[in-house]
Amino acid sequence: MSETINLTLRVWRQKGPRTQGSLETYKAIDISTDMSFLEMLDVVNEELTVDGKEPIAFDHDCREGICGMCGVVVNGRSHGPEKGTTLCQLHMRHFSDGDTIFIEPWRSKAFPVIKDLAVDRGAFDTLIQAGGFVSVNAGGAQDANCLPVPQEDAEKAMDAAACIGCGACVASCPNASAMLFVGAKVSQLALLPQGKPEAAQRALSMVRTMDELGFGNCTNERECEAECPKEISISNIARLNREYFKAGLFSSVM
Amino acid sequence: MNWFTNTLGSSIGKKLMMAITGLCFCGFLVVHLIGNLTLYGGKDFFSAYVEHLHSYGPLVTVAELGLLALAIIHVLTGLTLFFGNLGARPEGYKVNKNAGGRTIGSLTMPYTGILLLAFIVLHLIQLRFVNYDETMTVFQNVSNTLSQPAYVIIYIAAVIVAAIHVSHGFWSAFQTLGANHPKYMPLIQGVGIVFSLVVGIGFGLIPGYILSL
Amino acid sequence: MELDAKIPGGHLKDKWDRHRFELKLVNPANKRKFDIIVVGTGLAGGAAAASLAELGYNVKNFCIQDSPRRAHSIAAQGGINAAKNYTNEGDSIWRLFYDTIKGGDFRAREGNVYRLAQVSNNIIDQCVAQGVPFARDYGGLLANRSFGGSQVSRTFYARGQTGQQLLLGAYSSLSRQIAAKKVEMFTRREMLDVVIVDGQARGIVVRNLVTGELECHEAHAVVLATGGYGNVFFLSTNAMASNVTAAYRAYKRGALFANPCFTQIHPTCIPVHGTYQSKLTLMSESLRNDGRVWVPRDMGDKRQPHQIPESERDYYLERKYPSFGNLVPRDVASRNAKAQCDEGKGVGDTGLAVYLDFADAIKRDGKDVIEKKYGNLFQMYEKITAQDPYETPMMIYPAVHYTMGGLWVDYNLMSTVDGLFVMGEANFSDHGANRLGASALMQGLADGYFVIPYTIGGYIAGTSFPEITTDHPAFKDTAKEVRERTDKLLSIQGKRTVDDFHRELGLTMWDYCGMGRKDEGLEKAKKKIQELRGEFWENVLVPGNDKDFNQSLERAGRVADFLEFGELMVTDALARRESCGGHFNEAYQTEENEAQRDDENFCHVAAWEYTGDDKEPEFHKEPLDFENVELTQRSYK
Repeated sequence: MSETINLTLRVWRQKGPRTQGSLETYKAIDISTDMSFLEMLDVVNEELTVDGKEPIAFDHDCREGICGMCGVVVNGRSHGPEKGTTLCQLHMRHFSDGDTIFIEPWRSKAFPVIKDLAVDRGAFDTLIQAGGFVSVNAGGAQDANCLPVPQEDAEKAMDAAACIGCGACVASCPNASAMLFVGAKVSQLALLPQGKPEAAQRALSMVRTMDELGFGNCTNERECEAECPKEISISNIARLNREYFKAGLFSSVM
Repeated sequence: MNWFTNTLGSSIGKKLMMAITGLCFCGFLVVHLIGNLTLYGGKDFFSAYVEHLHSYGPLVTVAELGLLALAIIHVLTGLTLFFGNLGARPEGYKVNKNAGGRTIGSLTMPYTGILLLAFIVLHLIQLRFVNYDETMTVFQNVSNTLSQPAYVIIYIAAVIVAAIHVSHGFWSAFQTLGANHPKYMPLIQGVGIVFSLVVGIGFGLIPGYILSL
Repeated sequence: MELDAKIPGGHLKDKWDRHRFELKLVNPANKRKFDIIVVGTGLAGGAAAASLAELGYNVKNFCIQDSPRRAHSIAAQGGINAAKNYTNEGDSIWRLFYDTIKGGDFRAREGNVYRLAQVSNNIIDQCVAQGVPFARDYGGLLANRSFGGSQVSRTFYARGQTGQQLLLGAYSSLSRQIAAKKVEMFTRREMLDVVIVDGQARGIVVRNLVTGELECHEAHAVVLATGGYGNVFFLSTNAMASNVTAAYRAYKRGALFANPCFTQIHPTCIPVHGTYQSKLTLMSESLRNDGRVWVPRDMGDKRQPHQIPESERDYYLERKYPSFGNLVPRDVASRNAKAQCDEGKGVGDTGLAVYLDFADAIKRDGKDVIEKKYGNLFQMYEKITAQDPYETPMMIYPAVHYTMGGLWVDYNLMSTVDGLFVMGEANFSDHGANRLGASALMQGLADGYFVIPYTIGGYIAGTSFPEITTDHPAFKDTAKEVRERTDKLLSIQGKRTVDDFHRELGLTMWDYCGMGRKDEGLEKAKKKIQELRGEFWENVLVPGNDKDFNQSLERAGRVADFLEFGELMVTDALARRESCGGHFNEAYQTEENEAQRDDENFCHVAAWEYTGDDKEPEFHKEPLDFENVELTQRSYK
């Protein structure tokens, strides 16, 4: 059964990428505990609009936890306090009447704020462009069953491929490192025979690009794994490390 | 050799250097601890160990220079990573909360590292860069030093700091080297904790033993 | 206007081969001289942008989200069909073709659907080569499952995230072409109009959603892959940004809109629970393989499910359809759920839900087996509803999920505007009046990887293009119209928010143009929509300005188009005096309450031409000829 709660929100407001931002206070009144966190923000925004104020900008799209578009830091936790949950699937029943909730955007040099809670995650696209693909043109593929893949490898590849590119790993990493994101993609393709021919090139290129984009360095804090809404394991980071050393020290790729 | 510096110069390459030098220091800690345990055998036993060690002559110097090189790499790389990481998040969060991944060890790594560096400098001044002769044997110096309450406090604090540093550093080095396997990772993590306790207790009890003499 | 679908001659099996041979080719060295705009980065758009760039064309690709990887194809759960027959059950291209035509209630073109079935196999090959981690058997070969009432296992899947994995495959190919500088990627851009020069689509006007700037982009052809219009219902399983604007703007520029009333209502969604609700969540249809659907036998029975004894439960699908039971097609399952709730037998707080019960399956197979199959779905359900489906039956209700209608296209996927191509859910072509499960992914990728790369070449090779730039008056005029519209939206400063209007429109559409339609309801909806539209343009409140990131303004433009488009849907629904697939007019049903088609008079595509604001659109008919299949009444008894 749903009930309603009242909350105080401390929301990061910032007009644009180059302006100073600050935390503003808003009241969220009569919030049903069945609402999702984003629906709660919708309600607040409707009220702000009617009051002649500018609503809070935040990114969101599918609202079913798969597109990776949403994500803010709620009380110091990426996507809020629930494990394995995106912000859009976080429900207000996890909060109590009278709570004060701090809402801040992802913080990383590589993810500049666009407005309020919306950030630019184009750096993730740049990372995939650096090598997160298999170079096959449409039309040239052999029959799908010509290449058996051990079920275990396929499952592990799928575990890594579940990444939704939301950026919570970067946001929650004390060093704003993108190692889990890169590790997941490199792992997916390293585990599958299709990814092998370009494995060395991929690992080197993606890691170098990651450094250029301004992400921090991994210090094995494991916060990424703890906050990842798809619960992607840091064993993928270890695999990235192996792939990288193999490529850097033993392959002929420069 | 461009490929070599390129490989080691990246974020993962730097971590590789941290891991390898760090594991070397773990090895050193083991040797150092074994050596120090001879203290528990009494003055003569300890002095025999010291003499045996010194009998290696130039090899000791080589080992010391090796340790110095490892220390320089570990410290400089560590500082580079630390400042790089500060720059990766120019604007911090107003509210920070641990999601369950961090430990005291991982959280304090750069700071315990700097404290350890300071202690090692002090430790070397006190015990290494001393003119030992008949009037001042190593054993005398050790027992003198460890009789000063101020130094004992610093020493015990440093040992705790080292244990904390190692509690994260040990398993973290394996993770960085890519040695994360579902069958062995729990073992590695367990060994890391045991190792940090052994370091803490093994070194930490020495002043007590000296004082009880 | 004569609608020519340009279906090639010859036997059904040879049409596509023959057509590919007859299509003119663009010399490989010349391809780099041609620019192509692709709007959308879902399965169709992403695949097309990548494939066209691989061929050598210069592609400009646009998406509304912050990254091409976010397109709503990503949310598809179940799988993708292909006629591989890896399971040795007697599947074939012909069977997939036949099932798709029949499932679409005989309102799709034979030629298109056959081609779809043909290329379905290439899609799987392509995706596997890209590194899509499909589920595999112990021997390492690809696994298949049966899906959505199909009698053969032909669905390939990657856990419950098939759409995500296929989309990320297309996205990776696209990323490779972006890195190779063959695709110029424009993110956070919303297409607000198409620019037509001398009868040819030559560009688009987009709004940069971050800076607010209007940008003009020129090309030799424009490809729309902008998805479906399910959000006209406000609540749907579509993503929040899914909208009809791109397609509707093209319609207003002369592209015909086909079968807009064909909407698919998915039977297994989590029920609505409050007025603040922003979206509905789909639960994979595969749940019906083991779950039993029931309602209390008696009206208004408000007891908890476990208090209702077996004898007082009505497993209505099993009772009415003994051979298919809980696995009847989507439209049948949805309509029956609505009928039960209309009779007052609905469950839950709102009375708008039916039970989907796993108790028997758990008893039969054990909790472990059920958890292995549906664990993630059960978890998702519990996350949203805070109820444990292992202990208490799930509550489900139908929700708008997919729209079969879309811009009219010929066999080449070209609309009635030269050089304006439409793919994926945005076109109308392959699913007839009802789409089968696991066919949407197949169609999007077929269009993008294996159809448009050929047909667009045929168009370019056979067309002469006047040299133009974005300084051409057509661009200036179109951009001016777009700007005026934006200015007007911002200047009204009324009292009601955009979402408020959208919610009311959605409710009207759901009540009168949803699962069961009646003439008087449709008439009423038409009037209500007109009134609401009138009020919108006088009383909408859009805060902020057009010079920065203004999400309210984005939504206002979309809702303004939905308010016009909704009426077009109703007009189409009124004109189709039969029931078929996703269009169910209660006046036309069999004694078994099945959709009663009128093949004599309505075996056609209804394509609507825009004639001016507040004017009735003009109806055009494309008759559907069935030479290879016999039209039968669907029966799932």
